[in-house]
Amino acid sequence: MQHNKLISLADAVERYSWDGMQYASGASLPVGSDAIVFGRELVRRQRRDLHALFHCNTQQLNLLAATGAVGKAECGFTGLEVFGFANGLRRAVESGQLVLEDYSNLSFGLRLLAGAMNWPFAPATVNIGSDIQWRSAFAPDEYPARAKIPTVTDPFSGREIGALSPLKPDVAAIHVPLADPLGNAIMLGTEWNRFELSRAAKKVVLIADAIVDTACMRQFPNLVRIPDIIVEAVVYWPFAAWPQSSPGLYDVDEAHMQAMNKALATPEGTVDYVRQYIDGYADIDSYLDMIGRDTVERLSHTGTAFLLDPFRQWIKTPEEVRALSSGDAR
Amino acid sequence: MSAPASSNPANAALEQPYTRQEMMAIATGRELRDGDLAIFGVGLSMLAGYFAQACHAPNIRTMTEGGVYGATPVGGLPWGIECNRISANATSFTNALDALGFLVASGRCDVGIIGAAQVDKFGNVNTTGIWDGDGVIGGHYRLPRTRLTGAGGANDIACGAGRVIIMVTHEAKRFADKVSYISSPGYLDGGDARARHGFVGGGPSAIVTTLGIMRPDPVSKEFILDAWYPFSSVEEIRANTGWDLKVSPTARAVPEPSAAELAALRRVDETGMLRKK
Repeated sequence: MQHNKLISLADAVERYSWDGMQYASGASLPVGSDAIVFGRELVRRQRRDLHALFHCNTQQLNLLAATGAVGKAECGFTGLEVFGFANGLRRAVESGQLVLEDYSNLSFGLRLLAGAMNWPFAPATVNIGSDIQWRSAFAPDEYPARAKIPTVTDPFSGREIGALSPLKPDVAAIHVPLADPLGNAIMLGTEWNRFELSRAAKKVVLIADAIVDTACMRQFPNLVRIPDIIVEAVVYWPFAAWPQSSPGLYDVDEAHMQAMNKALATPEGTVDYVRQYIDGYADIDSYLDMIGRDTVERLSHTGTAFLLDPFRQWIKTPEEVRALSSGDAR
Repeated sequence: MSAPASSNPANAALEQPYTRQEMMAIATGRELRDGDLAIFGVGLSMLAGYFAQACHAPNIRTMTEGGVYGATPVGGLPWGIECNRISANATSFTNALDALGFLVASGRCDVGIIGAAQVDKFGNVNTTGIWDGDGVIGGHYRLPRTRLTGAGGANDIACGAGRVIIMVTHEAKRFADKVSYISSPGYLDGGDARARHGFVGGGPSAIVTTLGIMRPDPVSKEFILDAWYPFSSVEEIRANTGWDLKVSPTARAVPEPSAAELAALRRVDETGMLRKK
């Protein structure tokens, strides 16, 4: 029996996070879609020793690393694209507080695919022959590393290739622009890794900028790349990827991207950031107040807004979402 | 068009109506051919790629590693590969496995443009970290003094794209005899080393810098100087290269950017990223 899976962000983090878990988020792009507000709640709850599996670094991983919540991380890309190096992550790596294992953007996706398929490994024709294969931060005394991307022989051609280990994160908090209360989701813009991540993770929590009626999903079933049958919970949270962007809904907040990264460069700046931008809100309304209503308005005037047009008629108002949540979603 | 390069003393002294970064982007763009299936990283390489499309190669088929197809940036250089500046006019959105896997690892992609923090004489690229001392990590994996961005999709492009153009600011510290960490493979230790790994891609065809262009020797695969710019010289390039750079017997000066090239580049580089330094 399908049922309403809308719960509050606080409840989602309470139920679906714990110290030491393997935590994946996504889409995990440094500028685009990511469930950053879930990461803010992890910091608020002071989760520790997280093993982060992020296809790419984002401001969420930057924040989790800066606040000491992450002990280990595995990534393909660890910068902030045109916004530069990720200062919080960088500081945690350089000090040895966080051990970072490097992959590439394709091998990370292949590892999720292997996890989703329950394959013992995925064959690697990339990463081999480079220090991504030979160097392991998780096994620093092994050189060349033997357990990270071991060499195997293709049984058909005899060629030597690499074996990529599968990823099965305990929990994935996946950002989507549109979800229905049952847990069906439509993505706008590149999926990045969300399709395979949603199948690789043991539990999936959707963080949605907007909630739509299930009739929307029945109109565009081809676009529902994350179906409800693999989703545990749905959290409604507008501007959930802020200060990053959500194609169709809002642009990247350039000033906050820079200010946040600057703050995370030092322990003092990080404490200030947490006080101002995590302790600084208690619910969706005060979160949007914190961003600034003018900023929310400005960022919503995105050149991609037309992407949302086919779906607008099914978007539920905050009041309708609240009613659906029957008091559970605060 | 005014000469915004005058904000940079080095450029002002040379009285060039364009910056060194713009020359690098144009020289990179000239490496692309009409009809290429091309993948661009974020930042300068994206500007160089879309410049080629706007200028001499209108039928380039473009993609980003996130799976954004058929788009051209609007409103300036995209902040990232999923930035709304590149998502505003795409003809298809797919995903990373599709772009980097089905289209690059498969061998279908003709050309990729990647950046580098450090590059060596065999075109191996380091974007992972800077290590203290002589830069040699040694048998025990030590922490980098400075952590960089990691490989991202560049390793995958370096393994799979038909040819790869490496775009890098020309400074001695960036041009090492051997990189500290191979994030993305060039020709490894030279010769036919790539064949040992069976890479489907052909390896780097050019290193295009702010001072000139290097290309691999057909046999040894060591990069040698192929061209300098109107404002640079063989001596300057050799002095800023960390290995004993050989000069091709056919090395020459590349033509200045034409007015049409500069105009096309600046239409793509609407926010002036390449003119800032």
